[in-house]
Amino acid sequence: MSILRRLRLLLAIISLIYILIPLVVTIPASLTSANYPSFPPKGFSLQWYTKLLERPEFVEAFWNSVKFAFLASLFSVLLGTLGALAIAKYDIPGKSYLVSLLTALLTVPQLVLGIALLIYFTPMLLAGTPTGFLIAHIIICVPYVVRFVLTGLSGFDYNLERAAAILGASPVVVFWKVTFPLIRPAVLSGALFSFLTSFDNVTVSLFMVSPEMRTLPLEIFSTMQDAYSPIVASVSSVVILISIVLILILEKIHGVGKLLGSAH
Amino acid sequence: MEPVRYDDRQKIVRLSTEIVTARRKRNWRKYIYCGLLLFPLVAFIFGFFVIPMLYILYLSFIETKGETNAFYSIGNYVHFFTDSYYLHSLWLTIKISLYTVVVSLLLGYPVALTMAKCSPRVRGLLTLLVASPLLISIVVRNFGWYLLLLPNGTVHQLLISLGITTSPPKLLFSEIGVVIGLSNAYLPFMILSVATSLYNIDPSLEKAAAILGAGPLRSFWSVTLPLSLPGIVSGVVLVFSMSMSAYVTPALMGGANVPMLPVVAYDQIINLLRWTYGSAISYVLLGITLIMVTIFTRMMEKGRYREVFR
Repeated sequence: MSILRRLRLLLAIISLIYILIPLVVTIPASLTSANYPSFPPKGFSLQWYTKLLERPEFVEAFWNSVKFAFLASLFSVLLGTLGALAIAKYDIPGKSYLVSLLTALLTVPQLVLGIALLIYFTPMLLAGTPTGFLIAHIIICVPYVVRFVLTGLSGFDYNLERAAAILGASPVVVFWKVTFPLIRPAVLSGALFSFLTSFDNVTVSLFMVSPEMRTLPLEIFSTMQDAYSPIVASVSSVVILISIVLILILEKIHGVGKLLGSAH
Repeated sequence: MEPVRYDDRQKIVRLSTEIVTARRKRNWRKYIYCGLLLFPLVAFIFGFFVIPMLYILYLSFIETKGETNAFYSIGNYVHFFTDSYYLHSLWLTIKISLYTVVVSLLLGYPVALTMAKCSPRVRGLLTLLVASPLLISIVVRNFGWYLLLLPNGTVHQLLISLGITTSPPKLLFSEIGVVIGLSNAYLPFMILSVATSLYNIDPSLEKAAAILGAGPLRSFWSVTLPLSLPGIVSGVVLVFSMSMSAYVTPALMGGANVPMLPVVAYDQIINLLRWTYGSAISYVLLGITLIMVTIFTRMMEKGRYREVFR
């Protein structure tokens, strides 16, 4: 092996460590027995996990996160899949504008989107309500679903639909028996991706919350700003483990790298 | 060929009109189906993206004096570009974003190169390792670095034991901390874009360079690097624009010591309730990012290696 190749490998390993280390140190840090966060941890105890269960705001935030992520992914998959089907199949005027609008939606920073939605929602009495929160999350998830389904449809042979229709299938049957099975991986990965995007979101959520409605990442954010306590490490570990499970499922369905490649 | 009889001609005309009306009917049906499928998405995007964005653009041109007095003006923008506090914040945001871009390019390129040169199985694993952190919440990733950067924490100890410094600089709540947090967050985007353009390089080009006598370093410098420029440009654009508008990382890793523009905008909107001014800051942020990104892309596309962008 030449020196250059070794050097390249060494640099690559360093940057992989750089990417992954914040996730790797958090789990041991959550097992500390000390009262302050540190790495390497001092001693060993599960006290920060039992304390976590004793804090109702964290438990409630967890269920809020799951609930909103589920609803956001459900609605974005519905809106996004139907829209993508229409965009892919029909040659409609203004199609390119719609596609660039979806790209713009991905490009506009979440901070600006959060500000715009907060200001827009306030006179509509939607600011700080669960509905407003959900709408904001759907808006950030839906462009991804459209992208994934469009990619899934890119090699789609519409003769299959025609053949089914000629053989007497109604449009509904054609959709469920022919079209949907072929785009199912794309729809499923869109759903999981939206779930994770909504579950992880902080920036837009910050503008949409009210004191009685908080999610787990927001709880971590505000705990980190107010008082640093190892409880952040245990919540973060929970988030990391949940995310890893979902990421592995996503990898099985579609491949995370391919998915993110087509998303940006 | 026999001449077409009169009643046949009648038949042809009738049949063709029937075909045309049937087609038209089907077309109409097509438009209705399409409209039904598309309407929810389009209505949603217009209602909750286009209109809010236009609304705050409109608000940014309204100046308020006192409680009730409001009028159209470009005062908010004038205020922004004449107040040194905001200009300093803008400069800080640009500076930190540029640092972040440089750090992620330097750290990301070797990984992308390794991904392009290894076997498909290793490439799959590397892609998973690089991309997965993007799907884990930014607060969690920031917290990990927070633990490492604590005063007398792991990184401090490491710097001292390696003999690099005896009194380590302040890492947390400083610009260094923000650059570390941001580059850690956006490095995967840089790696994925550079890797995509490296995959597209024809391997025979490097062989040709070797045959013509170029060593590995020369071949990298004059073949691989220029051909990967499109990936570098898209990675740089992505990382730069994301860093410009990042809120969470500057707030957690920089705190009050690093008042980047997004932090200032958040403060104006949430704490001071100055919505018209906050809206103006949002559009300044969008505009400056767009201008810088466009200039950079144009420069690269018209530069020495303009051929590779075609």
